[in-house]
Amino acid sequence: MTETQQQGKSRRQPEADRNVKISVRNLYKIFGDQPEDMVELVKSGVSKSDLLEQYQHVLGLHDINIEMMDGEITVIMGLSGSGKSTLIRHLNRLIEPTTGEVILDGQDVLKLPEAELLEVRRKRMSMVFQKFALFPHRTVAENAALSLEVRGDDLAEQQAEAEYWLERLGLSGFEDSYPHQLSGGMQQRVGIARALCAHSEVMLLDEAFSALDPIIRSQMQDLLLELQRELHKTIVFITHDLDEALKLADHLVILKDGYVIQQGEPQEILLNPCDPYIEQFVSDINRARVLRVRSVMKPLQGDVHPDAITVDPDVNLEQVIESVSGDTSKHFVVVQDDQPIGLLSMHEIVVAMVPRKASLEILDA
Amino acid sequence: MATYTGLFDALGLRDWCDSEKKPSLLSLRSLKGEEAAWYEFPFPSLDNLHSACNAVPQTRDMTAGLEAGFLAVRPAMRTVLDPLTQPLSWALDSALVVFTATPWWALVPIICFLCYRVARSASVTLLVAVFMAFFLFTDHYTYAMQTLAIIFVCTLICVAVGVPIGILMSKSDTTQRVITPILDMLQTLPTFVYLIPLIFLFKITEPKLYGMAIILYAIVPVVRLTNLGIRLVDQSVIEAAHAYGLSSRQRLLGVEIPLALPNIMAGVNQTIMMSLAMVVIASLVSAPGLGTLVLDGINNLRLGVGFVAGFAIVLLAILLDRVSKSALDRINSAQAQLK
Repeated sequence: MTETQQQGKSRRQPEADRNVKISVRNLYKIFGDQPEDMVELVKSGVSKSDLLEQYQHVLGLHDINIEMMDGEITVIMGLSGSGKSTLIRHLNRLIEPTTGEVILDGQDVLKLPEAELLEVRRKRMSMVFQKFALFPHRTVAENAALSLEVRGDDLAEQQAEAEYWLERLGLSGFEDSYPHQLSGGMQQRVGIARALCAHSEVMLLDEAFSALDPIIRSQMQDLLLELQRELHKTIVFITHDLDEALKLADHLVILKDGYVIQQGEPQEILLNPCDPYIEQFVSDINRARVLRVRSVMKPLQGDVHPDAITVDPDVNLEQVIESVSGDTSKHFVVVQDDQPIGLLSMHEIVVAMVPRKASLEILDA
Repeated sequence: MATYTGLFDALGLRDWCDSEKKPSLLSLRSLKGEEAAWYEFPFPSLDNLHSACNAVPQTRDMTAGLEAGFLAVRPAMRTVLDPLTQPLSWALDSALVVFTATPWWALVPIICFLCYRVARSASVTLLVAVFMAFFLFTDHYTYAMQTLAIIFVCTLICVAVGVPIGILMSKSDTTQRVITPILDMLQTLPTFVYLIPLIFLFKITEPKLYGMAIILYAIVPVVRLTNLGIRLVDQSVIEAAHAYGLSSRQRLLGVEIPLALPNIMAGVNQTIMMSLAMVVIASLVSAPGLGTLVLDGINNLRLGVGFVAGFAIVLLAILLDRVSKSALDRINSAQAQLK
């Protein structure tokens, strides 16, 4: 099996096991002098631009409702200014909302008193930052052990834990270096080690890989998926890169100007974009690499083609095409756990790869 | 007749003007019996108005009133400030005793050793040793040690008080808005003007008089640069500290102060230099040390005494600057790598 197949299988959980870990409800964030007064206006339909022109308030987030499942990667994607970094900072309350709820395991984070909030930040949520935000005056190991030190754990335990995770992330031998002595990719691995050391159930990654070169970024994404297969954390990942979003996401949320414009399974969004904005986004990506057999197969009915080739539901279309060297006459039967579950023809693959109107329309315009 | 007599008459205030029969301070012109020429149209100042109307106070009444007011609150201020500042007197007295009573062959090596520990530089330590030898050789050693003792105590207090004030300023914009004008005033007030209220408040023989003058003058840079240093700490690092649940104390001691240290040390260096400047002026109010020799030189026109003492002060300034600068450089180079 290829790397991609493994990822697909182990990441998808049976429906019954899915629990909501974090639930964001009716979250509004308005920046300005009297944000509370503006909420009603916004609820009654005042637009973002009117709010800015007439009331000098900036609408940061508008009625955000997201359920983040336990053990899944929720990717929040949007361009700069869409409010995605603001949103992730509400989860651990680095930013206070104007109104709304952020429920972590049934508990509203936004109502926690200071001491309990600190506990949540120390033990239950860790964060990785775009600009790494390591402490420059501390060694790599001291940085990694930050959350343990803050909790007041035993020094030897701190060191052992930091060394373990640094080794897992390929940073053995750098424990006593300072962050500035490492490359960007290595610094971000220290950032991830710092988050993992906390043993928190939730990891927040704010554009964690955006500052890295493409190849390093891709390696880091693989590293994250590899760790996730083992650790099953609830990960909230912010990105402006759709390829990255599609590679990582179990649940994809697309944010624009503070509004959630579509959320769901990434394949679903790719095949049925509900908004011209998303169509435009989606039109630029390599669909063959992102779409999986599961998403484009037809239900099992009638006879299976006699020469049908068996494929796994979690491989992507590029791999299917590659496996038959691009022969367009082939037919496939999709088999999971020795049970046929769907049919697919080369014709359908080609159809699925045509972006829904957007690209052509954009070209015409 | 004064220029404004007609004005008071026209306003019908003549009775009120004449009700006060205060003896007035006469100007030279009125003594000579000269009238102001028509083109000299005098500004309606307090003195000019007074010459037309006795009820208006003269400027010297205003300054006298200010003085009377100050004298009136003086007992109350003394009751509060005296016990509060008494430890300063004790600290200065004991530091002076320690610095002058310790024999030179013990104190000079101790100073050289401390300078080495702070500066970690052999050449700076050598410089200190040479300067000390000069003080000893020219018999200015005791004076120099007195000056050093005063600077030592005052700088310590400036740091102990100034750094927390700077931290408070960095944490609250309101505090910053309130304290900044006070710092501006302390920095621009001519040094002699400082001494005036202090002379009224404390006995001139008390060390805390000059101690307060030095501290008030020299505390400014350490406060300013602590505030600046903490405000300049990379916000993304502070955000990470918040995200990992550091308490405000852990943030301050573990992140903000270490990262602001280069700026704080630059402030300490400035504070030391400013205490040295003030300790010379403070010899006017009985501060011992090299400043008294300079004062002697001025008062008695003894050029040589004043000159050598002035030179010794320059050497002391170079000494203090080099030692604190090389400590600062050490921290800077450690932090520059971190950026």
